[in-house]
Order: sequence, then C-alpha cells, then structure tokens
Amino acid sequence: MRTLIRWAARLYPKAWRERYGAEFDALLDDISPSLGDLCDVLGNVLRVRVTTPVYPLFASVDGSSVTLRLPAVLSLTAHALMILLMLVAATSYVTPMPSHLAIAPLPPPVPEPPPQVTDARVFPNALTLYSSLPLKQASGEIFPLYVDDGVGINFFAIPDIGAVYRQGNVERRVWPGQALERFIVRRVLPEFPRDTNLLDAVSVFVEYVIREDGSVKVVRTSGPASFSTAARMAVEQWVYRPLGYEDRRCEVLSRVEVRFDGKFLEAEKR
Amino acid sequence: MSDPTVLILASLAEGDKHGYAIMEDIQAFAGIRLGPGTLYGAISRLEQRGWIRAVKSESRRQPYRITAEGSLELKKQLALFGQVVRTGIRRMKEA
Repeated sequence: MRTLIRWAARLYPKAWRERYGAEFDALLDDISPSLGDLCDVLGNVLRVRVTTPVYPLFASVDGSSVTLRLPAVLSLTAHALMILLMLVAATSYVTPMPSHLAIAPLPPPVPEPPPQVTDARVFPNALTLYSSLPLKQASGEIFPLYVDDGVGINFFAIPDIGAVYRQGNVERRVWPGQALERFIVRRVLPEFPRDTNLLDAVSVFVEYVIREDGSVKVVRTSGPASFSTAARMAVEQWVYRPLGYEDRRCEVLSRVEVRFDGKFLEAEKR
Repeated sequence: MSDPTVLILASLAEGDKHGYAIMEDIQAFAGIRLGPGTLYGAISRLEQRGWIRAVKSESRRQPYRITAEGSLELKKQLALFGQVVRTGIRRMKEA
C-alpha cells in the first residue's frame, strides 16, 4: 500500500513534489497507510491538479494560463484515467465470468500404440514372443501387434543362477530373466538402428539390475556401439514390480541377449 | 470543527511539529486522523496563506511553525467556534 501511495504521489504537479515530496515520503515511512489513505491522496491529487493555476506557489512554470490550457487538459484527462484505473484495482473489482460460457471439451484421447513384439525369426527356438507388455487379450478381438523386424530378445540360461552378490549393505540375487517375466510391468523393446548396413546377425548381451523399487539399471553391455546403445536404452526403460526374498526387498541381477538380424529387416527400412 | 487547517493551527499553537507529529497530535486531542493527502493539502494551503512556515531542518521530516497571522486566524476561528458552542449549549438547555 505504501508503494501504491508513493506511486499515486507522483501524480502531484512537479512543483508540489519538489516542495513537499521528501517530507511526504518521510511521513509515509512513519505511518501504516491504508486503502483510505490511498483514496485520500488520490482525492488530494485531483484537487491540487484542478486548482494548480490558481495557486501562486505552482505558478513557477513559464507561460500564461492560456498556453498551458491544452497540456493541462490532456494531463488532467490522463491522470483522471489513471486514478480511475487505480480505484478499480484498489477495490479489487473483477469482472465475473459469464455463466453461459461453456468449458472447452477435452481433446479425444490418443489411442495407445499397438504392443510391439520381437521378430520370431530371430530366435526360432524361443517359445515366447517377448512384447512390450502387458499384453491383454481383449475378448473376441484380434489384438493388433507390431513386429519390429530383425530384433529379438532371449533370456538365456545363466550359469550362476541363484548366486548372491553383496555390495556394502545391498544384496543382489541372480535370477533368470525368464523367471522374472511374471513381475514385469513395462517393457520397451529395442529398435533396430537404422543407420547401419548390417546384413548378418549381431548379438548384444546386457546385464542389468532390478532395483528395490523395480526400476532397471544396466550394468554392462557387449557388442557394437550402436547396437549396444539401442539395447541399453530399451532395457533401462523396463519396470518390474518390487522384488523380495524371504520378506526382504532385494535387488536382482539378470541378463538378456538382444539380437539384431539384418536379414529380416525389410529393404525399405534400411 | 473538523476543518483540517484549524486543527493544524491548533496543533502548531503548542509548538513546532512535523507532519507525522501533527497527525498524531490531532488524533490525540480531536480524535480525528487526517490522511496524508488531506494533511499535506492543508499544510500547503496554510503555507500559501502565510499562516504557517517551514522551520529549517536537516531532517527529511520538515517541522512547521505557526506565524503571527496564523495565530490571529486561529483565535478568530476559535472565537467563532466558541460562539457556536455556547449558542448550541444554550439552545439545548432551552429545548
């Protein structure tokens, strides 16, 4: 409010401000101004503005009253508008929203992309088409699937299955990826890197840790850079339900093989 | 009675005061709080009429002093008010 009154005091004529400005400012520092004080100052500004030519105190400006008439009228009009705006703002008058305005309808929901599944030809002996889970069969409907040609994942047999590794207080248990399938919440399948001219198959082995909260962190990968990057980016987006052993949360270490086979990549996708 | 010029003259009759002191004094003896705009509007009018004058001060708070003309004017105003008060009291007793 004090700042607002100081701003309002700037509407006083220059001569008035030069004479009383400093002490008026000091007075504002001493009091606790209210809205009534603001109106009081604005009213007095208007009074001073209207009576300015009459007072010899403010007659220091050169020129006759006739030559000052037009600027004075313009100034008064501008200040009256400003005062009006300030009064409207000070009384917090807000135009109510008309009740007949309807809320704009929300845009239609974007359909979810069809689940993406691995190319069965890459691992011909695998029993499962690992997909971007969860795959929920709608009753009586054919579920649309999208196959990323030339990409397959395989949960191979892990030699140290069941082992427990400790890092400080953290306990990591080695579980096969196939056994973890019932805990998977989200899976993102790797995309075939489009900037390669691969005609043969390349395997990338990914070792990953499922944290206590179910998120996945890739520990290490093997294979050519562009392929291992594609595999890492996908696996790190996987999410599992939190895992535990004997009623205790634990981290789980697992491994997966991602194979990229250029033979099954359609020519137009290269 | 609530004419701010008279109230300010009455306040300064006691001694020099700056704006805030005048405001506080009037609040104390008359129960009227002058707004900052009203106060300085009245001060500027009193100064133009020569009834008060600014006293030299190094502070931002400018003290004012009542002049001889101001004292005379205050006496006139108080005499008028006194007459109004006496008449009013007398008429209330008669009623």
